[in-house]
This record gives sequence, structure tokens and C-alpha cells, in this order.
Amino acid sequence: MTSTATPPRLAIPGQPLGPASRYRPGPGTHLHNGHLYASLLGHVRITAPARAPGPVKRLTKITPAPAPAELPTVSVLPPSSSASSAASPSGQEGAGAEQKQRRREVLPEVGNVVLCRVLRITPRQAVVTILVCGETVLEAEWQGVIRVQDVRATEKDRVKIYESFRPGDIVRAEVISLGDQANYYLSTAKNELGVVLATSETGNTMQPVSWKEMRDPVTGVSEWRKVAQPQPQ
Amino acid sequence: MTDRRRINGPPGETIPPFFDDADRAPETAKGRFRPSNAIRKMFLKTGVTPSASGSAYLEISTSAKPGASGLKLSCSVHGPRSLPRSAPFSPHLVLTTHVKYAPFATRQRRGYLRDSSERDLSVHLETALRGAIIADRWPKSGVDIIVSILEGDQERETSRSQGDEVWEMMNALSGCITVAAAALADAGIDCVDTVAGGVAALVQDTDGDESQPSIVLDPVPSEHAKILAACCVAYLPTRDEVTNLWFRGDVPASDMELYNSLVEKGIQASRNANRVLVGCLTESVGEGDTS
Repeated sequence: MTSTATPPRLAIPGQPLGPASRYRPGPGTHLHNGHLYASLLGHVRITAPARAPGPVKRLTKITPAPAPAELPTVSVLPPSSSASSAASPSGQEGAGAEQKQRRREVLPEVGNVVLCRVLRITPRQAVVTILVCGETVLEAEWQGVIRVQDVRATEKDRVKIYESFRPGDIVRAEVISLGDQANYYLSTAKNELGVVLATSETGNTMQPVSWKEMRDPVTGVSEWRKVAQPQPQ
Repeated sequence: MTDRRRINGPPGETIPPFFDDADRAPETAKGRFRPSNAIRKMFLKTGVTPSASGSAYLEISTSAKPGASGLKLSCSVHGPRSLPRSAPFSPHLVLTTHVKYAPFATRQRRGYLRDSSERDLSVHLETALRGAIIADRWPKSGVDIIVSILEGDQERETSRSQGDEVWEMMNALSGCITVAAAALADAGIDCVDTVAGGVAALVQDTDGDESQPSIVLDPVPSEHAKILAACCVAYLPTRDEVTNLWFRGDVPASDMELYNSLVEKGIQASRNANRVLVGCLTESVGEGDTS
């Protein structure tokens, strides 16, 4: 009897979505007494497990009970994001969806790749403000810190902040900790992380030359940066 | 504390002249025109303030009488946004609530600064919402909930309704809770459930001690001769939990039945309000589908 019951299409906070034995909680849901409930207002979406439970290869191995990863994930998407995805093919909902779109706020989480602008540098750290988290432009101002030991993965003891970042640079970084009261802690210790956009002292946009050097195409002067590896679009 | 920076209106009452018309005078019939287990009609709409991350507007209709005003509330939710630099690290959402009567909302003109009763309402509202919000989904951030009471549910004639302010505050609080829950859902802040407020009161309908007091939902002070006790409940219907309980009045301490039934009726009023809330939220999501 319960197996036939499907979750509703729309959810308001507190609406039951089904037992935890059938679904995995996704974003916008919460778990209470073994049942899933919506915690946001929006549309319910059920996504199939990423890896379909295929044939068991090693029959000799004792497999545990179906892992929770094999259950479909149920999530509640706020009307903004689902409306925009629905509107993009039809295109007639543009203004309304766009107006609602900017309202959904996200927070930087550990592991997210963010884009940030360098505010000021000290010998021990670079203070940045986080502008974009993942694909979303943040509405609020969040401050972050790239400490000298998080700039790169090798030769950490020779890192100099002023040879890695300058105020005004746009940096791609990864969140490594929620940090202290004011700052998120960020790291650029990967090839694809680092300065993506920088201007020289004369004010021209520079081009990356190597992983630690950028050159001004007009004056030909090069400056030191921790350059991010250019990513194919 | 007086506000000396602005030009304040007259501190006294600002009511339009009320002429003692011969044909208007008999129309003072007190009384409740709806059943004792029904709340007044309610209008709720989300998304009224474009600049806020979430907002809602609540209007409770007036009673049939011409002189009485209803309750009009506007709520806006700002955030989640980063905490000020001076604030200590918080692993969860920091909730700040402001409830403010507009200066023109009540018979007695209100100041621009919050007075103690408004701060009291804010604290009650914060307690009610704190039980509903999943605060650890939003670390290091704060959210401001601002409720403006545009019309304070008071009768225009002053003479007979002295001392009703406390009961009116309870009605205002239950409205604040409902409208804030709608605004929170509109803002996309994780909640365990939709919390709604409800008021129940023990009233005496005719003057004199011999009449039997009865319990009504959503009491309007001007409709009853006397309110003996009232109880404002913030209730989560799916969880079956009460997040805030405000009980006030003069009830014999021995009568536990009465206490229980008052709270029970308050929960019933809150369920009724919740139905409006659910309808409003469903409608606001459904809009995005069809238009």
C-alpha cells in the first residue's frame, strides 16, 4: 500500500515525502523519525541513483544490504531554479523567472570552487571577497582568507604572498574550511586553481605565461602570480 | 526613551471626530457573528517586497462592525547574509526578529523606536520561529525578520475598550507568526514545518458573574464583554509540536481541564490559520508552472 504512494509534485515545508527506506534525502529535505519531509517550498524532484545497480560481478563476495546510494534521491527545488530550467526552452517566462532567480541564496561549502577578488595582502595571507560560488553569483559579501601555506602544494616554505597575488586579482580557489568568525579559509593548491584574471601595474590585463608568471602584452613586463591552469570551456 | 531627532506627531490619540448620531448610536451591538470555533477570514500573499529575499503580507478581515479595523501585517526576510565582523563564530543560522507597530497602527500613537511591548513580541516571535527553522543548514550566517504591523486590530471607539491592549497583542503575535512563516518559506530558508499562530480565549459574553464563560477561537476584544484568559500558540501541524505558548489571564489554578482545553483550542485556531498558509504557499509555487 505504501509502495504505491508517490511523493507529491509540489512540496511545502513539513510535507511528508516518503519513508527513508525508499528514498535518500537530497537538498531541501530533512529526515525525521525515519521519514523524509520537505524543508523548502518548491517542486519535488526524484533523481535515479547515479550508478544503476547492475549485475553483481563477484558472486563469491558477500554483499551487504543495498547501500543507501542505490536508492533514488528525492529533493525539493525552490521555484526559482526549477522555473528557470523549465522556462529556458519556452522562453516566455523570462522576466518573471529571472526576477525570482536571483533570490535563492547559497552559502560556500567545504569543497566548493569559488571565484574571489583579492582585497589586500599581508606576508602571511591574502584576504579575498568571495564573488561566485560554483555557478551561482552570491548576493551577500563573504570574506575569505588564503593563507601562505595554502597557496600551492609544493615548496610551501618558499611561497611569498606578494609573488602569488596582488589586490584586485580574480582568483579561483577551493573552500577548505568554514574558518573563523569572519573568514572562510580557501586554498589554491591545485593546478587549475589560482589567478585567472590580473592587471599589471600599468593597468593592462595580463596574459599567463607559465604557472607562476603573467605578462603585460602592451609593455612586455612580466609579474609573478600563482596562475591557474587555463581550463577548456 | 523619547525620540528627539524627528518631528513626532501628537502623543495623544488621533481619531477622527465621532459624532453622536442618533441613528448611529444603537449600532453598538456587541457580539460575535461567527461560530465560536471559527477564526476570522484571512488574506495571505507572499512575494510582496521585491528587494527582500522573502516577504509576505497578511490581512485579517474586520468584523462586521464599521468602526473596528482589522489586522494588517507585512513581513520581510533579509538574508541569509554574512554576520557582522564583531559577531562570534556561529555554526548555525542566527535569527533576528523585529516587530514594530507603525506609528498610525493603533489608537495610541506609537513612537518610531520600539517600546517594551514590541520587543516582547519580537522575543515571542523568535522563539516560535526558532523551533521551526533548521538552523544548521546555514552556518555563519544571519537572517533578519522584520514584521511591520500596519493596522493593529483595534476598535476606533476608545471609551469602552480600555485595557484590551494585551489581548490585541496576542492576536497580533499569532498573525506575526503566520506571516513570518510564509515569508521564511518564500525566502527559501529550511524549515521543519510551516508554523502558524492561533489564539483562543475564555470569554464572558454578558456583564455579570452569573453567565457561564465560554472558550472561543480568535477573540476580538470588542466583541465580548470580558476576556478572562487567553492563550497564543505557535504550532507545527505535521510534527504536532508547540514551539511557543503564551498564556495570560485569571483562571483558577486548580482547573487543569480549562488550561488544557484553552491550549487545545489555540492549536485548533492555529490549524485553521495553517490551512490558509498552505493554500497561499501552494498557490505561489503553482504560479510558476502555469504562467
